[in-house]
Amino acid sequence: MVESLIRNVWLIPLLPLLGGLIAFVGGRRLQGWNHLPVIAGIALSFLLSLTILLGTDGSETTQVYTWLNIDQTTASGDAAGDDLRDAALIVPIEFRVDGLTTMMLGMVTFVACLVAIFAAGYMAGDPGYPRFFFVFGMFVFSMTGLVLSSNFLLTYAFWEGVGVCSYLLIGFWYAKPEAAEAAKKAFLVNRIGDLGFAIALFLLWTYAPNHDLSYSNILTLDTRNILASTPLFLGQSALFWVVLLLFWAATAKSAQLPLYVWLPDAMEGPTPVSALIHAATMVTAGVYLLARSSLLLAAEPGLQAAVSTIGCATALLAALIALTQTDLKRVLAYSTVSQLGFMFMGLGAAVGHIAQFAVIAAVFHLFTHAFFKALLFLGSGSVMHAMGGVIDMRQFGGLRHRLPYTCWTFAIGALALCGLFPLAGFWSKDEILAALSAAGHDEGVRYAGLYLGIYWVATFTALLTAFYTGRAFFKTFWGPEKLPSPGGPHAIAEASHDPHVSSGGPAYGVDTPAPESSELSRYESAMGAHRSVPGASAAGPDAIPHRPADLPDPVASSTHEPVPQDHHGHGAGDHHGHDSHFGHESPPIMTVPLMVLAACAVLVGILFGPMTHWFAHHVEATPTFELLEHHEHEFDWATAITGTLAALIGLGLSMLMYARPSELPEKISGALRPLANASWNKFYVDEVYAMLVVAPTRLLATISRYFDVYVIDGLVKFVAFVPRLVGQDALRPLQNGLIQSYAVVTAMGIAALLILLMFVG
Amino acid sequence: MTDYAFSFDQLSNYLILGAALMSLGMLGFLSRRNLIVMFLSAEMMLQGTALTLVSFSRFHGNWTGQVFTIVMLTVAASEAALALALILVLFNRNRSLDISLWQGLRESGLPESLDTDKAEPYVPLPGPESYPNLTPSGVEPPHPRQPWEQRRG
Repeated sequence: MVESLIRNVWLIPLLPLLGGLIAFVGGRRLQGWNHLPVIAGIALSFLLSLTILLGTDGSETTQVYTWLNIDQTTASGDAAGDDLRDAALIVPIEFRVDGLTTMMLGMVTFVACLVAIFAAGYMAGDPGYPRFFFVFGMFVFSMTGLVLSSNFLLTYAFWEGVGVCSYLLIGFWYAKPEAAEAAKKAFLVNRIGDLGFAIALFLLWTYAPNHDLSYSNILTLDTRNILASTPLFLGQSALFWVVLLLFWAATAKSAQLPLYVWLPDAMEGPTPVSALIHAATMVTAGVYLLARSSLLLAAEPGLQAAVSTIGCATALLAALIALTQTDLKRVLAYSTVSQLGFMFMGLGAAVGHIAQFAVIAAVFHLFTHAFFKALLFLGSGSVMHAMGGVIDMRQFGGLRHRLPYTCWTFAIGALALCGLFPLAGFWSKDEILAALSAAGHDEGVRYAGLYLGIYWVATFTALLTAFYTGRAFFKTFWGPEKLPSPGGPHAIAEASHDPHVSSGGPAYGVDTPAPESSELSRYESAMGAHRSVPGASAAGPDAIPHRPADLPDPVASSTHEPVPQDHHGHGAGDHHGHDSHFGHESPPIMTVPLMVLAACAVLVGILFGPMTHWFAHHVEATPTFELLEHHEHEFDWATAITGTLAALIGLGLSMLMYARPSELPEKISGALRPLANASWNKFYVDEVYAMLVVAPTRLLATISRYFDVYVIDGLVKFVAFVPRLVGQDALRPLQNGLIQSYAVVTAMGIAALLILLMFVG
Repeated sequence: MTDYAFSFDQLSNYLILGAALMSLGMLGFLSRRNLIVMFLSAEMMLQGTALTLVSFSRFHGNWTGQVFTIVMLTVAASEAALALALILVLFNRNRSLDISLWQGLRESGLPESLDTDKAEPYVPLPGPESYPNLTPSGVEPPHPRQPWEQRRG
């Protein structure tokens, strides 16, 4: 059973893709049921993954198809004897099933399935519903392919695939300028990272034995030694550069310094997308890649220290920024960046005898983080759903009575993120801290002092994490109840009680924005655009306080009869219809995934963590991890207690400051005005990048444009001008249509020829 | 093989005559405006060339030149038939044989090189036009019989 499944493991990526294609081809004919094929496909994939996960140990590969086959004998030609010249490139589409892969597969398909169910409720009534689920299915296809593929080139292909899906989904509401900009930013920043990956691939192909890019060839001690003994550039070995470039690629995909800037902006996409792609799965691809090639990384202690340092700096910076952000989703986005920083710290701490332990700790944090971060994002989506698209924490508060399920599941996610015993985050974060501490106290490790410093900064970051998580939770769900004001720009409350509007504007999501101009409102109503305006600009008094109810509705005016037609927009559909959702709990289709994820956030740590060692044993079965140094590692009470204390202090502070209205936050931020301002402005990183990178690039582009217009185009026009000049002014008068003039020219020509022949030569 | 009966002096006479014919023909072709005279001049150039060929052939005792001249005469005969027919059609168009009326194939926008209004005036001959009546043969063509005059463009 399991063997045949492993032979047909390609079904796992294929099923979501198939579901997505059905959703897309079906389009409006499916009448708002486009989510069904995608959910079914992902759920089937999850079941298959689970079967494989439970039924396999060790590693097996199955080849589906040969993608590229450039044989040495056919392509080498006369370049005999020169090793670098013979060009063999054989890339099979080959899938690999081992501990790391099955773990990632199970996690990705499980979270994706729940998020898809949530999205079915959240996105209901959006005009782009089929497109959303198509790209969703395509994303799950790419992500499962990424973790399944058994060689670097195939990984790279799927790596690009998830990048494209991310781009498409961030820019899902493409008529909204912020979303389009954010999508572009994410795509461009990821391209920078992909460049590193591509060069790493070239290097690997050049120096690896047999030009074989498969994991089973490259991730071995032999290949590592060959690479390490090949001097390449600046006195460093090929191994150094390969690892550095892979790390570069990982910093872009996993949003680390200096390439993290795209992730916070990616929150312009629909919230389920933020939950799935930009929190739980895709951003962990970089961590996965480094974990996969940790054998190579382990041979370069300097780079390991760099990975840890970068991770630490990112974690600290993102946590500091998250302290003052008022956009709930942005807080979570920075928290994601911060937690990814923790994973990188773990990967970098894979030194000495704790190598395997540290990598597994990082991967375990990846695993648990997926659950509680997806939970938090979906919770914030639920809040946004209930608040009519408002996500600014200053505009609502005390929602615990109105949104009980969301509140308590969010609380569980927040506690897990803080790392409180016995929730998931505690176990994984503690393992990373323990690895850092062990690396710091190991005499044999070259940069022991650095690791010790990183350990303490990480503990401080854990405190900050607890603080901003608590702040987000208390500001949203605690204190006196406050809803976005009816007179303000987000006047959904009024509108949703108006029966005319309820039936007249069905196709807008609940997050449909208040339009700022008629032009924009037409676009946004056509897009069903959701709205998440970050704080300051939200409360413009001149905004028009109406929903665009009288605008022609793109769905209603079509000949199809979409399901949401007779219900109120967002919550509509056969599965859950109710009159108004403003200020009310989301429908079960959205809260049930929340509850399942909350259960996971509570349980995965206990079930799979250091209590049972189930996770570690499973991932250890990955062949490359077996080659890392490993020893039994005792549970480290010191770090556990320190970490828990830090979390408790952070939580306590946030409760003190935000659980009830108090003067404290203003006082503190007043006392630390420059710091608070810097944090609020995200430490001006975007501005610095705009000055250092974007402005020179734009300048270069402008220069190139002028060069193109005036030099290149001028040359082309000149070349076109010369024949015209010759033809018009020199040769044209000769064509006078008089036969005798032609005869004269002919005669004179012959005469000249004769003279030439007779007297010259 | 050289024929000594035909000396070099004789050859030079023939060649001078041929060159004169050729030059006169060219002069006529370039300077006259009447189509038929131009045609005659062209024929004269042809004859000058033919004479040169024949005399060289005789001088060298090589028949090729004479054979080639026979071919040339044949071609010239066909060409004369064609050219005269074309001239006839042109005359029917404009009632004139002046070359200045036929400058239409020049580039657009260019002025005419010869003044059309100085073309020879057409003076119709008095009396009815008479053409020889050919004996009808074969099947009657499907088009309605029309007097030649009415079919003019």
